[in-house]
Amino acid sequence: MTTDPVRHPRIVQWLVEPVPKGRVAAFRTLVYLFVAADLVIFTPWVRAHADTPGDLYQPLLIGRLLALPTPGPLLVHTVFWLLLVLAVAAASGRAPRLLGWPVFLLYFEWMIIAMSYGKVDHDRFGLLVALAVLPVAGRARHGDRELSEAAGWALRVTQLAVIATYFLAAFAKLRFGGLDWPTSSVLAQAIIRRGTALADLIGAVPGLLIVSQFGILAFELLSPLVFVVPQRWRAAVVGFFYLFHLATFATITISFMPHLVAMASFLPLEKVRRPGSDRVPKGPDTPDPVPGSLASSP
Amino acid sequence: MSQLSRRGLRVRLVCTVAGFLLLVAGTLWGQDDDFPFGPFRMYSTAPDPNGAAVDTRVEGIDVTGRTVIITEANSGIRRAEIEGQRQQYVAVPSRLSQIADAYGERTPQEPALREVRIVIRWHGVRNSRPTGTYRDEVVAVWTRP
Repeated sequence: MTTDPVRHPRIVQWLVEPVPKGRVAAFRTLVYLFVAADLVIFTPWVRAHADTPGDLYQPLLIGRLLALPTPGPLLVHTVFWLLLVLAVAAASGRAPRLLGWPVFLLYFEWMIIAMSYGKVDHDRFGLLVALAVLPVAGRARHGDRELSEAAGWALRVTQLAVIATYFLAAFAKLRFGGLDWPTSSVLAQAIIRRGTALADLIGAVPGLLIVSQFGILAFELLSPLVFVVPQRWRAAVVGFFYLFHLATFATITISFMPHLVAMASFLPLEKVRRPGSDRVPKGPDTPDPVPGSLASSP
Repeated sequence: MSQLSRRGLRVRLVCTVAGFLLLVAGTLWGQDDDFPFGPFRMYSTAPDPNGAAVDTRVEGIDVTGRTVIITEANSGIRRAEIEGQRQQYVAVPSRLSQIADAYGERTPQEPALREVRIVIRWHGVRNSRPTGTYRDEVVAVWTRP
């Protein structure tokens, strides 16, 4: 892995900007524990497809290309239990490739099963990218402050996937809804279908839903700015993203949970430590901002 | 610091660019079928500010005459999945028998369903706000022969 220091073009340098290994270790634990929780708590209905009549199965393009079998009890329960055990094991951070690749493949198949009955969800592109890159993020112990480009790339592409989910959603709105989208009744429809008491209050205020629609579009189009705002504001911007989802959940009960987990790739997760557990020798705490100083690294 | 090898870097750059291109292509020309690279089209339609809002539900009537709302919990089928296949159910209402079967599989302790129907509740919308009024329309019915 370690070679002579190389200077990359700036965009490449940004793409592999090194982060402390402890950050990817924490992210790994979070993501794999979420996969286990997703199986049993957040999307338990996927398992119910074991008993769904095969006639209702409408395989996605990827399922047809790979000639994946029609889900039945054997397939669904096998994937469920294997994935549950392997995800919990992977959360330990051991054998990142040996455990990480099967978890990615099994979760991908799990999602193909989930989305092959007439409804595709759009809340987990970032999580799928995280699962695809964590196996190659390198070995990492909790609290390790050594910087790593492999870890940096894994977190960066997950961040890009998260922001693409917002930014490209704006284009989907223009493509499917057109320029009328911000003045349409899309939020009124959402409130009618799954609104909470809070949403009913908001819906009663003349014009507020229209303003919200303009706000959503602006937020999605501007979301890539998170990559250019000064470092000290970044956490606040990501905090704003989380608040947006809190508001969405409080009004139309849509949680976007997998996306929220992937979004933690923006956070300095290595700072979340049990008190007294910091036994790793002190080192540089933040990514080195001076490209030339790479040469002085070991 | 641990740095990537030249090959490791090259492979990662190729994957990044390929993933980006697939995603952009999916956004511009793709459909949900192209998961995971399809367009992020959640809430992307622009319904008429003065058109009615559609709220679909699936009901069963069991052999005792009781009306049961079919849910993810008692059938293993999500409402959005039934909505996604609504045209097929409307064209061939006998397909609804599969929902009765799925309900029977999931809730063997409950009386069997003798009828399953898809009901659309049309909610009034004016100036992009709910008016609080609605009417129901049954769009597909299957009765156990």
